Amino acid sequence: MVECLPELFRVIRHAFFGSVISFLWLFGLTLCGPLRTILLFEHSDLVIIAGFSALFTSNGGGPAKLRGAVFFILAVLAVLLFDHDDKLHNDPDHLHSTFVSHVFHHIITNVGWSDHKGGVVLLSITLCLQVGFNSASKKLSVDIGGSKRLHALSTIMSTMLLLPWAVFIYLTRESDIESWVYILFPLILVIFFMFVFDYYIEAVAVNHLHPPSVALVGTLTMLTGAVFLSATWNHPLMAQVTTLHKMKDIITEDHVLSGGVVFSVIIMMFSTRLLLAPSRGARGSFIGYSPAGLPLYSIAGDALQRTTHSVFMVLKNGLRQILEESDSRKIFYFLCINLAFTFVELTYGVWTNSLGLISDGFHMLFDCSALVMGLYAAVMSRWKASRIFSYGFDRVEVLSGFINGLFLIVIGIFVFAEAIGRLFEPPEIHTERLLTVSVMGLLVNLTGIFVFKSAHGHSHGGHGHSHGGHSTGGHGGHITGGHGHSSGGHGHSTGGHSHGGHGHSHGGHGEHSLWGGEEHSLSQPQGGHNTNMEGVFLHVLADTLGSVGVIISTLLIENFGWNIADPVCSLFIATMILLSVFPLLKETSMVLLLRTPTDMKKDISLCLEKVSSLEGVLTYREPHLWWHTSAKVLAALHVQVTPETSEQKIVAQISSIFKEIGITNVTVQVEKESYFLHLTGLGAAPDQMFDFTHNLQHQNQSESLFSGVKAI
Amino acid sequence: MANFHSMPDLISSSVSLKVEDDRKDGTKYNTSGPIYPFAQGSKSFPSTVIKEISQILQLKEGKKIMMFLGFNTLCTVILLTWCHSTNSMALTAFTYLTIFDIFSLLTCLLSLWVQRQRPTPAYSFGYERFEVLAVFASTMLAQLGAFFIIKESIACLLQQNEVHTGRLLLGTLLACFVHLIVTFGVKNRAVNHVVEASSSSWLQEHMTDMSESLCHIVPGLSKILLPRLNPFVIIAFAGGISLFAVHILIDTKMYYSADTWVAVCIAIMTCGTLFPMTIYTGKILLQTAPSHILGQLDKVLREASTLDGVLEFRNEHFWTLSFGTLAGSLQVRVRRDADEQLVLAHVFSRLSSLVSVLTIQIFKDDWTRASTYAMVGSPAFGYQSPIPALSTRAQSPVDISLSLSSFQSPPQYKPPPASSFVGVVPPPKRSTDNTRTSTLTSAGRGTSDIAGFSSVNLS
Repeated sequence: MVECLPELFRVIRHAFFGSVISFLWLFGLTLCGPLRTILLFEHSDLVIIAGFSALFTSNGGGPAKLRGAVFFILAVLAVLLFDHDDKLHNDPDHLHSTFVSHVFHHIITNVGWSDHKGGVVLLSITLCLQVGFNSASKKLSVDIGGSKRLHALSTIMSTMLLLPWAVFIYLTRESDIESWVYILFPLILVIFFMFVFDYYIEAVAVNHLHPPSVALVGTLTMLTGAVFLSATWNHPLMAQVTTLHKMKDIITEDHVLSGGVVFSVIIMMFSTRLLLAPSRGARGSFIGYSPAGLPLYSIAGDALQRTTHSVFMVLKNGLRQILEESDSRKIFYFLCINLAFTFVELTYGVWTNSLGLISDGFHMLFDCSALVMGLYAAVMSRWKASRIFSYGFDRVEVLSGFINGLFLIVIGIFVFAEAIGRLFEPPEIHTERLLTVSVMGLLVNLTGIFVFKSAHGHSHGGHGHSHGGHSTGGHGGHITGGHGHSSGGHGHSTGGHSHGGHGHSHGGHGEHSLWGGEEHSLSQPQGGHNTNMEGVFLHVLADTLGSVGVIISTLLIENFGWNIADPVCSLFIATMILLSVFPLLKETSMVLLLRTPTDMKKDISLCLEKVSSLEGVLTYREPHLWWHTSAKVLAALHVQVTPETSEQKIVAQISSIFKEIGITNVTVQVEKESYFLHLTGLGAAPDQMFDFTHNLQHQNQSESLFSGVKAI
Repeated sequence: MANFHSMPDLISSSVSLKVEDDRKDGTKYNTSGPIYPFAQGSKSFPSTVIKEISQILQLKEGKKIMMFLGFNTLCTVILLTWCHSTNSMALTAFTYLTIFDIFSLLTCLLSLWVQRQRPTPAYSFGYERFEVLAVFASTMLAQLGAFFIIKESIACLLQQNEVHTGRLLLGTLLACFVHLIVTFGVKNRAVNHVVEASSSSWLQEHMTDMSESLCHIVPGLSKILLPRLNPFVIIAFAGGISLFAVHILIDTKMYYSADTWVAVCIAIMTCGTLFPMTIYTGKILLQTAPSHILGQLDKVLREASTLDGVLEFRNEHFWTLSFGTLAGSLQVRVRRDADEQLVLAHVFSRLSSLVSVLTIQIFKDDWTRASTYAMVGSPAFGYQSPIPALSTRAQSPVDISLSLSSFQSPPQYKPPPASSFVGVVPPPKRSTDNTRTSTLTSAGRGTSDIAGFSSVNLS
């Protein structure tokens, strides 16, 4: 008997929670009426679990289940929103009989809902509880020895638990029940239907049929039955005829069938069907090729599935990766500051009920998305190269810079459009608290600017970024700063790599290549400034500009009453943002388009000249030199040589030539005449042969190429 | 490749990038004039753009696209004014689809232009990648616009304002009409390719799923429904239907926040539709190998590795150049007695069916002992810096002197400019006949070569 005690305790616990859920259900029933209770509560666990797993896990069983879950939520929302609930508390005093209902009414009065809506929410929550309760009881029933036994024991226990309360109520309140006969009949009915028949019928059905089909048929029958009954029985006219005189006050207009409920019933049936349908097994397994060579595949969810880690471990690893390197660390810290500021702003806004503050907080949150992307790109760029990303993930930073540039353009255009709209229809401007918020925002952004300034502007000491108004100059200086030593530090705001390249080619003009080499050894580490960081920096800069603009326009409006200052400031800021973003967009898109580096054109043409003048080299073709990132240049080249030359020697010479100008990753394909003979023997395309002969005949073509490269 | 002399003027090539940028945002490019200083005065930038555009406009196709573009822009402006007058967020979100259509038409123009271009020294791989960038940028811009809508909607939820339903349905119909016309009226090479090749959006997945179950009931519909539906059509209908629902809700129930919620829905749908395309083009821009090609590539490489003399492949880089074309580079390490040209031809012919722009470097270990380590040691082969390891191994003074003597050989190439790469030039061939050497001597030579190399750096 002693070893049974833990089991006994668990059964008691089970009984307790079971009674609580039953109580909530009954309470919901009194609030919503029978039809809505059936609609909301009488669902199989299978449906709810399938819905949850479709919504919250990756392998929920395909789009059909997800759709089912969304429809389920829609059905609940339809009952919640589109049902008629004109009467807020019909008679508050009558229903506040128990403590729980008192608390409940207090809550929904605070929210401002009718008790009808409260009942819907309560029933939905109870449904979720019920699912959890059922899965827990399944586990318990294994330990106890059969679900039938558990059911019996638990029912007895809950009776014992509830008995004192029932006795207490019976003794303290004066009941309006005249005799035991009146109460006996309903009691027996409830006992048999709720506790015996319900359980046994379901058990038998589950034993003889497939559980999903039981759930499906059961739900459909219940819903149609409920709709039918409420349409006939519950109708006021029918109620006159059929019900007892006593129950008339329960059947109010409130629980009558409505359009929203019918709509919800239909959706609910549909979603039950969707959620219980067996999921199709074949997902993403089909991979083939169309005649045009296009891939024919769908997303293979299972193929992409990784081993699951705990959330904590993922966070820890991510944090470690972020803090490893200075760029990502800076972005992360600034993101933290920004988020903290946003949080403070939002809470204060909610506290003081100020819409301006709240919307500004959301705006800050929106800006944080750019930071998050920059952070992710900074972390990602350090990942190891894979088969698919054979050159490594460096280019992610360039792409992120490009996206940030696009982001800023969108922001600029929106600000511009809004400013123009305000020029024509000036709105009411409330300047209260605006100044404080914008000054604080400015402070936060200034921190960001100082943090990021050191990240990528090594050589532009003199430019003050703290000045909002001078930021174009400062920005231009920052862009040119990468090559500052070649352009002599004159800070006009033309910007871009091209400027550096310009100065460079001037310097290298007519001098021997030693100079160029030295220049490169100097400029290489600086020249490759990080486009990702630049994008983030520009974003922060744009925000700072915004704050400055707000401060200026607020001051002007408050002191002089110039309402026009606001759109004018916005116009100015938008122009500023758009102008400052162009160099970044240009640079990143040139890298993404695999352009031949503009800042090395002199070196490249020199190099190619040297290659063609090597002993044994007849000519070369397809010289590909391109920016991989803005720092790293790759090259590939085909050379034709005389039959007696050693290929390896040519390769070594060419790679050393390219190495001089800082290009370390060179692939050289050395071709002799025999190669083309072999190719024709292998049945290769004749255009290769044509190319070769063509090249041999037109040696001067390389001359034209040189001039071309020079003229880049 | 034989077309270098027939290329267009270089100014346009250097400037063409700006053409695209300007097309993307449509605002002033004149103000950003000083960004390209290398337009060295021959022609001004706007005139070049105008020239290129007028060239495209001479084509029949170009005229048609331009007509569509004008129509689309006009309708978008009308729609935007209606959005303003109805005060409806959902209609604004839907209008952004037509703005995306403007971008896709511009992409179409761009691909017309690209088709007429040849590779130039500035863009040695050709201009096809411009299309990729244009599609990426336009999908990205549309998603960012949708993102903005979500942000504005949050602000709207805080302070719900009234929506006038007067022009709501009309606007919906117009936007749907314009969108469908542009989707089906113009043969947009780049966008259509991306739509076909990118993975399905979730809207498409749901549509496929639904139509599959519908076809179980009505098998006759399988002709229409079972092929993959165009995502733009799906989003047009989904957006239209939800806007219709908004109209009903506002008219019957004065339920204004439905408008905002539907705006969020449309924005999310837009993002969901365009996101797979962004991923597809973004991966191309990141120079990645398409995963469905990897299997074929592996097969070809396995075949090629059984060729006589091939030891291994290394530094294999295969990446998508533009829609449907692959580029790649590869190093093949071969046995010392292998015929390099034969191996090259074999590997090239195997791979060229898959990879159109291909560079293969044949690599022989120790091809002449004297400079093996110069090659291996030079960062051209991707090694970091073997200097410390080698210098510890350089023990014999004899080796050093020997290699120094070989080091003094004259450079091999014809013009002797005062260049700095004397030291790395390998010694003459006379040492090649000596095929058997100990690792120690080659190590010593390696040191000496590196010494020469470092002297280059010092000079």
